[in-house]
Amino acid sequence: MRHYFSDAPKTALQASYWVFVIYLLLPLTLMTAMSFKDANFIAFPIGDWTLGWYAKVVQDKQFLEASGYSIFIALMTTIFATIMGVWIALLISAEGIWGRAAIFALACLPAVVPGLINAISMRIFIRVLDIPTGTGAIILGHTVHAVPFVVIMVLTRLRSMPNNLIDAARDLGADSFIAFIRITIPFLAPALVGGMIFCVLTSIDDFVRTFFLGGYQPTLPMLIFAKVQGGMSPEINAMATLVLIVTAAVGLYAEHFTRRSRT
Amino acid sequence: MQPVVQFRNVNKHYGSSIAVDSLDLSIEPGQFVTLLGPSGCGKSTTLRMLGGFETPTSGEIYLDGKEISRLPPNKRNVNIVFQDYALFPHLSVRRNVAFGLELKGLASEAIHKRTMELLSLVRLQEFADRMPAQLSGGQRQRVALMRALAPNPNVLLLDEPLSALDAKLRQQMQVELKSIQRTTGKTFIFVTHDQEEALTMSDVIVVMNSGRIEQMGDPHTLYSRPRSRFVANFIGESNFIEGTLKGTKGGLAAIEWNGSVVHAGLNGQDLQAGSRVAVALRPEAVSVFAAKPAEKLAFEGRITQRLFKGDHTSLTIELPNGQVIAAQLDPVALSRITDDRVWIGWREEDAVALAD
Repeated sequence: MRHYFSDAPKTALQASYWVFVIYLLLPLTLMTAMSFKDANFIAFPIGDWTLGWYAKVVQDKQFLEASGYSIFIALMTTIFATIMGVWIALLISAEGIWGRAAIFALACLPAVVPGLINAISMRIFIRVLDIPTGTGAIILGHTVHAVPFVVIMVLTRLRSMPNNLIDAARDLGADSFIAFIRITIPFLAPALVGGMIFCVLTSIDDFVRTFFLGGYQPTLPMLIFAKVQGGMSPEINAMATLVLIVTAAVGLYAEHFTRRSRT
Repeated sequence: MQPVVQFRNVNKHYGSSIAVDSLDLSIEPGQFVTLLGPSGCGKSTTLRMLGGFETPTSGEIYLDGKEISRLPPNKRNVNIVFQDYALFPHLSVRRNVAFGLELKGLASEAIHKRTMELLSLVRLQEFADRMPAQLSGGQRQRVALMRALAPNPNVLLLDEPLSALDAKLRQQMQVELKSIQRTTGKTFIFVTHDQEEALTMSDVIVVMNSGRIEQMGDPHTLYSRPRSRFVANFIGESNFIEGTLKGTKGGLAAIEWNGSVVHAGLNGQDLQAGSRVAVALRPEAVSVFAAKPAEKLAFEGRITQRLFKGDHTSLTIELPNGQVIAAQLDPVALSRITDDRVWIGWREEDAVALAD
C-alpha cells in the first residue's frame, strides 16, 4: 500500500496537522501571555511583565468562593453520577436483562442532547416539581449530563472482565456482595477513576445548565462570564489560565492513569 | 467406604436440550477421577453442578453424604480450577492464594504460613509478590491450583486446566498434578476431552456421551474391554468389523464375517444370537503375516499405505471385501513384510464383540 502515498501528500498531511495545532493553541497562548502583561488593557506589545494579576486573582474573595462552589458541585455531581453510572452499567451487562439496548440508549441520551435543550427541559422539570433553583438543581442537572460518560467507561471495562472471576471468588467462599467489593470494584478501578475525573471536568466546565438552574451564588464559569461582560481585563486572563492549567493537568493524569491500567 | 461425591438421577436441561441425562455417579474418596468425553457431552455441566455454578433441573447431588444440590458455591466445600485459571488480576500471587483463607477468617500469620507452604509445593515462593500478568502459563496454572487447594476442600474440581498449555508443558503438568493429588490425598475430579491425558492420570475414567455415562472404570479396563462402540472409538483407535452373531460360548462370541467364523471376547455383555455386532480390534493387536499361516485363521489383504511413525509403522490394509484394517507394526515385524500382499489375523481375546 505504501507506494500509493508519495512523499508530497505526507508532507502536506504533516503540515496541516501543525496548522491545526497552532490554530488550537494560539488563542490559549495569547490568553496566557496577556495574563502576564503589566497594563490594564489587552493589546500588543506586551511591554512590561508582571505576576501581579495572579497575586490579585488568588486574593480575590469572589474568585476563591466561586472556585470552592464549583469544586463542591463537581464533587457532589461525581459521587451521584458514579453511583448511578456503575449501577446502570451493571444492569446493562447483567445476563438475561430485558430491553438492554433501550436502557443503554436512554442512559446515553443526555450526552448527545444539546446542552441548551437539556438545560431548558431541566428548568421546566424543576419548576414542575417545585424544586428551587440553586445548588441542588445544579447538581441534579450536572449529574444527568455526567452519567452517560460513567456508563460508557464502566461498561467498556466490564466487557473485558473475564466471566469466571466472579465465579472464582464465589467458589473461594465470597458471597455476591463480597465478590462485588473485592473483585468487581478493583477491576473497574481504572474506568472509575477515568469516569470520575471526567465528571469533575464536565461539571466544572458547565455553563449552560448552571446558568438555567443556578441561584444567586455564581460558579466559576458564571463569575468569569459576569466579569467579561463588565469588560475584558488581564485579571480574567490570569483566572482562565489557572483554570486551564488545573483542568489540563487533571485531564492528562486521568488519560495516563486509564492507559497505564489497561496493560 | 462412603462415596465422597454422589449424583442421584441428576438431570440438567437448557430449554429443550438435555445437557445431563439421568446421571448416577459415585466417587470414592482419594481418587483421581476423570470425566472424559467430546465437547457437549455434559462433562463440564456435571462439574459446574458440583461446584454450584449450575443447578440441576432434577435429582440430588451429595457431598460427604450431605445434600448440596441447591447450595451456592460459597457454601460448598469444593473448589475449582478454571480452564483459563481466572486469577484475580489486581492481586499478587500471594493474595490470590490467600483469598479463600482470608474469607475463612483465619489469622494473618496462619494465612501467610499456609500460603507460603502451598507456593513452595509448586516451587513458586520467589514469585509470591508478582502479579498474575507477570507469570508464564504454567506458573499461572500452578497458582490457580494452589489457590483452589488453599481452603482445604474435600474435592478439587479441574475444568480442562491443561488445554491452554503447549504439549511439552502439558505433559509436565500431568505428572505434577498426579503427584500433588497423591501427596494431598484429595479427591480430584478432572474434566477433559483428551483421552491420552485421561489415560495417563486417572484412577477412574468416566466416559460421557450425550449427557450419559457410557462406561466407567480404570484406564486399562476401558482400553482393553470397551463396552460400547463409542468408548472403543473415543479411547485410542479401533478397527471395527461388522458381522452377525452366531452364538456365544464360554465368554467368547462367534461371529460370521467375510465368509468365516471369527471369535471375539464378550466382555460380560448379553448379546442376542442373530443380531448385528461389531468387533473392535486395536491396531496393535493385528498380526500381519507375509505368507498364509497354516494353523491360524487369517485373511488375505493388500497394504495400501505405510506411515512411518518412528517407533512403529502404521499400515493400512485393504481386504477383498472392501474392509479396511489399520495395523501397527514394530520394526522387527515390519522387516518380515516385503510384499504388499499380506495375511492378517488376531488373538481371539484381543478382540471385543460390541452391540452394533
